[in-house]
Amino acid sequence: MVLASVMELVNNAWPAALLALGLGSLFALILLIASIKLRVVVDPKIDAVHKALPNIDCGACGFAGCASYAKAVVTNPELLGKCAPGGSDTSNAIAGILNLQMSGSGAPMRPVIHCRACEQDKTYFADYDGIIGCTSANAQPNVQACAFGCLGYGGCVRRCRFDALHIIDGLAVIDYEKCTGCGACARGCPRELIEMVPFTQDIMMTVACNSKEGGKNTRTFCKVGCIGCGLCSKQCDLFTTENNLARLDFARYEPSEAAQTAMDKCPTGNIVFRGKNAPAPREAGQKPAASAK
Amino acid sequence: MAEIRGKFTFPGGTHPPENKHFSENRSIEPVSVPKQVAVLLSQHLGAVCVPTVAKKEAVLAGQMIGKSDAFVSAAIHSPVNGTVKDITLLPHPVIGRTMGIVIDVDAENNEIKQPVNGQFDKTFNPENYTVEQICRAVKEGGIVGMGGAGFPTRVKIEPNPAMPKEILLINACECEPFITCDYRVMLEWTWQFLAGVRLAARAAGCEKIRIGIEDNKPEAIEVLTNAVKELGGKEDIRVVPVKTKYPQGGERQLIQSVLGKTVPTGSIPPTIGVCVLNVGTCAAIAEAVATGNSLTHRVVTVAGCAIAKPGNYYVPIGMRVEDLIAYCGGLTETAAKVVMGGPMMGFAIADLSTPLTKTSGALTFLTKAAVTRAKHEKQQTPCIRCGRCLTVCPEHLNPTRIAHAVKYFRMDIAQDYYLSACIECGCCSYVCPANIEITGYIKTGKLLQARAKRRLG
Repeated sequence: MVLASVMELVNNAWPAALLALGLGSLFALILLIASIKLRVVVDPKIDAVHKALPNIDCGACGFAGCASYAKAVVTNPELLGKCAPGGSDTSNAIAGILNLQMSGSGAPMRPVIHCRACEQDKTYFADYDGIIGCTSANAQPNVQACAFGCLGYGGCVRRCRFDALHIIDGLAVIDYEKCTGCGACARGCPRELIEMVPFTQDIMMTVACNSKEGGKNTRTFCKVGCIGCGLCSKQCDLFTTENNLARLDFARYEPSEAAQTAMDKCPTGNIVFRGKNAPAPREAGQKPAASAK
Repeated sequence: MAEIRGKFTFPGGTHPPENKHFSENRSIEPVSVPKQVAVLLSQHLGAVCVPTVAKKEAVLAGQMIGKSDAFVSAAIHSPVNGTVKDITLLPHPVIGRTMGIVIDVDAENNEIKQPVNGQFDKTFNPENYTVEQICRAVKEGGIVGMGGAGFPTRVKIEPNPAMPKEILLINACECEPFITCDYRVMLEWTWQFLAGVRLAARAAGCEKIRIGIEDNKPEAIEVLTNAVKELGGKEDIRVVPVKTKYPQGGERQLIQSVLGKTVPTGSIPPTIGVCVLNVGTCAAIAEAVATGNSLTHRVVTVAGCAIAKPGNYYVPIGMRVEDLIAYCGGLTETAAKVVMGGPMMGFAIADLSTPLTKTSGALTFLTKAAVTRAKHEKQQTPCIRCGRCLTVCPEHLNPTRIAHAVKYFRMDIAQDYYLSACIECGCCSYVCPANIEITGYIKTGKLLQARAKRRLG
């Protein structure tokens, strides 16, 4: 009984089975031809470069993500070295894949914040109760007396994808262990306080102030601001003082006795170390070590 | 007097409490000369002035102390006799700290400047002055739009063959709550104001003059209508009462109300042949042309519950806010917020040593109670998509959409919804039931956009 019904099925269904088989073969053939005719030739280098990249899609290179950067760098070798999070290691790896020679220092770019004023060091004229965010707060003039320093509303923190920035005591502080140097924070600061700097040393010296205000006003507004006295530029030629503000030439910086003296002599303790495990800056209002002797 | 009702209006807008009672019946009063003035080098749209005086130099009242060679800019002048103490960074009410000139006033050699409205009457004939004379006087007088934006007036009224102007529209709405300085100018300096209007029309080559006034100022409408009648109809001047609604005094809104024309998004009124001037600006033009005085003083409304003596004061430009507060009898104990301008579009000032500028028409002193009643002290809640901001937006934008795009840094979306077309009138924030600071976000968005552009270019 069972056998009979199976036989009946086979007898009736064979044309359908044949048709299915025929159609299957036909499509297989079309696909086979298409796969040969329409093959996309992918440069194996792109794949290799993509694998060498950190694959975090941070956008620091200016492209949408690691894949598009890989594609671009293979066709245009001038883009080599744009990967800030990867740093020189990645650049060397890509150079190896592309048979290129790396030139330049290759020092990783890291942000430094040109302000060291915590909440208790700053002067405020009024309470700000608007939208919480640096750009909005900056649009309200003179809430914080200093028009140049860190506002502490975390515009940079919101842009950092690596949890490497935090507001501590009303001041943005960079965690150099986590920082990849993508530069998003520098683009997010309305006061342009964050500068991307080549870290030739593990610990860099910097002038932690951005105030172009005259010395007298800076003193009234902030306990730790640069008053533009020019003592540091007299001690060490790495420093220049312009517009009431001292600046360090980061590209030429090396630890030296002259630089150390300049740091010790700074009357407001504004020259500080920044970087992984950097020593804590002199406390606000403390007299310079050199004059204490 | 029959009740005047303005029927002309524009779609959108709100009706905030007018609060004009503080100062509307107080006549313009010249204030005593302060000990020190601080004249900012950037009081207008366009290029910042370069100081033409040095430290310790003696200056005379009306002397030019800063100028710029750029086309869109306006010279600045010393309002007092004195010596230049310093050229330094000073607090600016809108853009933070900018350069300015601090002048120590020569106490023995200064008289309080009195208004010059007595020199004008109905016999004033603008045809005594050539177009070049008017334009030169306006340029040398450093006159800018005194309604708030501070666009150099010379650029507006100078004949421009590429954009011929047909209609001169005088913005006499003063739709912002608390402010009454233009109202008092119209009432007290009627002939000076009309002289300025006619001079501006002559310079700009405008045949028609329309004066748009909100119908909550019936006295001003009556005074001006009678004055225009007395002029004898030599010029086509018409006083147009418009509906009292905020922001009736926005130039795009006023053009829509009075002339029924729409200014295309992204362009300015001259493209459709209209030139819009503010009341105070016209009075300043008349003074500059007829007497040669430059713009060194202006009428400032001091209003609000938190000031002892509200009123309309004739103030030297560069006087510090704290000096004006002292002249007005000081702040009351409940003072919580000082706003330069009105409560809708003004700027809160944090530093009371901020000097007054050519564009500061009012100082509003709010109490703690008034500030707490205002939206932003309350809890913000999520947008409920009620669409009230879309109904009131006079520019027909989608404010909540733009605000949310800005909040999440999606400037591409914000631009798709015409972020830059916002006139920042504040209607959307005013009506928002969720207390979202929509205008605040839009302003932030404009700043973000400007920064992105600067970085690219």
